[in-house]
Amino acid sequence: MTDLIVAVLRSATPLIYVTMAGVIAQRAGIWHLGLEGLMIIGAAATIIGIVLTGSLLVALLVAAVFCVLASVLLWFAIERLKANPIIAGLGLTGLGIGGSTLAAQSIFGSQASISAPFGLPQLGESFGPFAALSVLVAAMPVTVVVMWFLLRRTRFGLQLAACGEHPFAARSAGVSPPRMRLVALGIGGLLAAAGGAELAAGGLQIFAQNMTAGRGFMAFAAVVFGAAHPIGSALAALFFSVVSALGIRAQLLFGNAVPPDLLLALPYLATVFGVWLSGRLRGGAAIPSAFGELRDY
Amino acid sequence: MTGTLAPAITCHDVTVKFGDFVALSDVNLSFERGLVHAVVGQNGAGKTTLARVAAGLIRPDSGRISIDGKPLALGNVRESRKAGVELVHQSFALPPSFAIAEAMEFGADRFGPAFSSRGLRKRWSAHLKSFGIAADLSARIRDLPIETQQSVEIARALVNDASILILDEPTAVLSPSGVEALFERVRGLKKNGITVILVLHKIREVLAIADTVSVLRGGRLIAAAVPAASLTPMDLADQIVGSETGVTDADDAAALVGAAPSRHAGMRAEARSAVPVLALSKVATAPDVDGPALADVTLRVHPGEIVGVAGVEGNGQKTLVRAIAGLTAARAGAIELTGLDVTGTDLGTRRRLGLSIIPFERNSEGLSLTSSLWENWSVKRLLADPLLTFIRPAALRSDSDEAMKRWDVRYRHAGQPAGSLSGGNAQKLVFSREVDDEARLVIAAQPTRGLDVGATAFVWQALRAARDRGAGVLLISSDLDELFDISDRLIVMLSGRIVADVVPPFSLAAVGAAMTGAGA
Amino acid sequence: MNANLIAVIRALIFIVFALVLCGIIFEFAGYSSLDMFQSIVDGAFLRPGGLAQSLRWAIPLFITAVGVGLSFRCGFFNIGAQGQFYLGAVAATVMATSLNGWPALIVVPASFAAGIAGGALWALWPGLLKLRSGTDETITTLMGNFIANLLLVYVTTGPLKDPSGSGQQSSSRPLAAAYRISNSLGLSPTIIVIAVVVGLLMWLLINRTAFGVVASLAGRNPVMVRWQGAKVWRLGIASFLISGALAGLAGTVEVFGPNGRLVGGFLPTHGFTAILIALVANLSVGGTAVGALFFGGLASAALYLPIMAGLPSAAIDIINAAIALFITARSSHIDRLIGGLIGRARKTP
Repeated sequence: MTDLIVAVLRSATPLIYVTMAGVIAQRAGIWHLGLEGLMIIGAAATIIGIVLTGSLLVALLVAAVFCVLASVLLWFAIERLKANPIIAGLGLTGLGIGGSTLAAQSIFGSQASISAPFGLPQLGESFGPFAALSVLVAAMPVTVVVMWFLLRRTRFGLQLAACGEHPFAARSAGVSPPRMRLVALGIGGLLAAAGGAELAAGGLQIFAQNMTAGRGFMAFAAVVFGAAHPIGSALAALFFSVVSALGIRAQLLFGNAVPPDLLLALPYLATVFGVWLSGRLRGGAAIPSAFGELRDY
Repeated sequence: MTGTLAPAITCHDVTVKFGDFVALSDVNLSFERGLVHAVVGQNGAGKTTLARVAAGLIRPDSGRISIDGKPLALGNVRESRKAGVELVHQSFALPPSFAIAEAMEFGADRFGPAFSSRGLRKRWSAHLKSFGIAADLSARIRDLPIETQQSVEIARALVNDASILILDEPTAVLSPSGVEALFERVRGLKKNGITVILVLHKIREVLAIADTVSVLRGGRLIAAAVPAASLTPMDLADQIVGSETGVTDADDAAALVGAAPSRHAGMRAEARSAVPVLALSKVATAPDVDGPALADVTLRVHPGEIVGVAGVEGNGQKTLVRAIAGLTAARAGAIELTGLDVTGTDLGTRRRLGLSIIPFERNSEGLSLTSSLWENWSVKRLLADPLLTFIRPAALRSDSDEAMKRWDVRYRHAGQPAGSLSGGNAQKLVFSREVDDEARLVIAAQPTRGLDVGATAFVWQALRAARDRGAGVLLISSDLDELFDISDRLIVMLSGRIVADVVPPFSLAAVGAAMTGAGA
Repeated sequence: MNANLIAVIRALIFIVFALVLCGIIFEFAGYSSLDMFQSIVDGAFLRPGGLAQSLRWAIPLFITAVGVGLSFRCGFFNIGAQGQFYLGAVAATVMATSLNGWPALIVVPASFAAGIAGGALWALWPGLLKLRSGTDETITTLMGNFIANLLLVYVTTGPLKDPSGSGQQSSSRPLAAAYRISNSLGLSPTIIVIAVVVGLLMWLLINRTAFGVVASLAGRNPVMVRWQGAKVWRLGIASFLISGALAGLAGTVEVFGPNGRLVGGFLPTHGFTAILIALVANLSVGGTAVGALFFGGLASAALYLPIMAGLPSAAIDIINAAIALFITARSSHIDRLIGGLIGRARKTP
């Protein structure tokens, strides 16, 4: 049981960081489908940074800078050039996956994966069975609570929500929607970098091509399933991780009765169900669609 | 010079351009503090633009503004608010999912940056109480009745110590008694030393409340803060319309002043006995987002009459139109068009029986603004045939050209997007599509909203022509003057019911009382 | 006409924009961007037989992209082409497997019908959810892609797995040669005829029927079309079904043409590229053909790069991604700039 909890925490932590990045963007009115790309940029930059500089701090700094820069690029495309956020976000994801692969190949040749000599600091012996988990795992619940406070209990949070829901109202109150969206995407970049760093350097200490394997999209699903509420979405991400952990163990648990691949589809099915349900409950589309376009202000 | 002598707000040579269009041209204007100032003009005269320039939402291309004699940094809402200028928009601007207390907080800066949910309500309860808002502070904006929403908007505008409050068309959504309550509040604000600037377009209202009147026409200032006491309604009408001969057309005058010329057709006997084009008997619907459910609505429209529908917005008018269109199902009762029972049929069937609709929202329900003129025009006839019918776009284009010419739509070519037309021309396009010889029942919902005087008169003439041709017309409007002017009969809606059915001569007092339920 | 011209120029401007961004990324990653672009153009078009290879990749992309374009035109942001493509391939393979041994004249049409139906069904449920409950189709079709991918992995490692293959490989048994509609090069008269027929029918549907006009009005403003008495519901379902059917057809073409079998996770970016093509083409059928050739060329270059030029094929993913980042941009500054340029060009003949 304990090892299942450890496994869930290990897989949930990166997902939850990235989910928080999606939550803050969604509240500012941006459907963030670039999460997958940001996450892999964070993962690649952390490992490559450790290998090349030998310093964890520098590596994390590099990951943060790259993720924030990539977020600013997305902001520029959707805010300044008025590109469609969904397509542009998918583009950012492609850039992240392609760019990280390209960078890894140009530096290390075409190896399957790059390992770093060390990773994030671990919690240590005093944490008993959780000793091997990284400090970012312990920081994760704190981050979620901080995000909840920031978004639900501060004027900044209200202003951000106003930008997402009724940008003209925000502007009329002297709040600049473009600037707030930049801030939201920037904070999201930092959170996604943390998620990527934890994924790559939290346990295995390796970077492999396409190693995020759809986690960024699962984070987006968690944002939607949790109705962009920080705690709701974090719980959704946790639930998805439990399902994935079970999927890996399905063979052991159920024999061949439940095909693991189909169990892995559960988060996506749950998200479809969640969007349908929230639409029903609120009588109409819960999250306004309009192709995910930013609203005018 | 001491601050008290300087005017509250002064504009120097303010010019605003949107592309080639000059919205404001060299406006010089100053408003004395502590008074109620009205800014009037037709749609498109630049009133809202002026209000938004003062609020910092629009940065003028040239010119200066000073507040209390001090220069204002332009195009910056934060600076305008810091200087004490607040604006309440015509279509309110608060996030609909916000609770009242949240709506106060997000634009305020008088408390700390963080809060607890109980603390937030405590912060704002006294402020809201001072505006007579009794609603629960955790009620959501979208659930509030429209008059409460307006009060909340005004309370929101005064969260920081504003000294100049601008209200953009605040009366457009209110009943006569709501307007009275609003004006009472405005007088209260004036007593507290707040300078109030009202953007209005009804002369009667202007003269009832304003200390000074400024007139804009086509972006130019025609009259600058003239004392209201020195003006007569007809003077003002002349200045607003500004044709060289003054206001000569009776319809123009009626649109502005509300002096209804009596031109009611009077029901012809044969029309009274003819089969009604529309007959609702005891129709009830479920409530929807646009307003209350219809309850027990019985209504007849005969060929050759214009039936007006009065009522405060949100009392079931939209549901009524949707029920007649078949877009909202009738839970009970029956609907007949030209004598045939159409209850339960879809809009396509009803349209084939001669139903025509000028919908409430011209820009969303009436036209697809990003589609071409010919597509907008042809959709009605395309839908009369099966969808896999072979078409020739060139033929549709030339047919639409012909129809639009007949209706005097001003446009360059049939391929231009509908959004490039002015409001009046866009409405003419809708009429050219809807009001043809086959139209037996024309539903015109707020057909003159947002139109200038000329286009308004055009719409009225088109509706009268349809009536004279023998069609029935159901006219929904929140403008009582308009209804009084052209309706042959008037019904009043309140909370989804028809509470009055009156014939000319109409009495403003009686209809106004029915609108608020006071008459019962 | 003018609006179309502006759309074309705008697309070109943003493609240039994207290529500059790619150049920066290439240089940053330590590659010469000039070499890179030179090799890509060689791989796509200039090398002997390059154009034929580009056409091989362009055809399935074209078929899927025309369907995506119709769906966008009708106002539905169906980004589930990938899933519909997979489901078509799966359904066709299941049909071919179960009819294995029957004459090709029966098996091939039946499998194509199954593939088309499979793709259409995978678009039907998001369509129904959208039109019945207002459930956002962007999310449902996106999720549908992941579910379809897992389903494909499941069938190719489970029920349809080729028992003779190695334990690692997830693919179905190869189709009998008689059922194939092309060899592994992927170009045959049958495939070209399919593409041409699809293109013609879709052009007629969009440009010469009432459906086309009403659907594109509904796409821009469904509320207005509803007030005209159209059954938006039917238009919507039709557009979902047609776009899904075409993606399913493309999947079937891949399996019965060049692939010859169903492979787990094959062509994972097919749907995304098809969306890009539809957008680059501004949703027109003719533009989609040109766009498909361009992106088909890139797809062909992606195979050429690592083998012939020793460059990573990720470069192609980056180009696609960069184009995606900018292609939907509709900045008014740029439109005004283009308008000015056109105006000047007209004045100086």
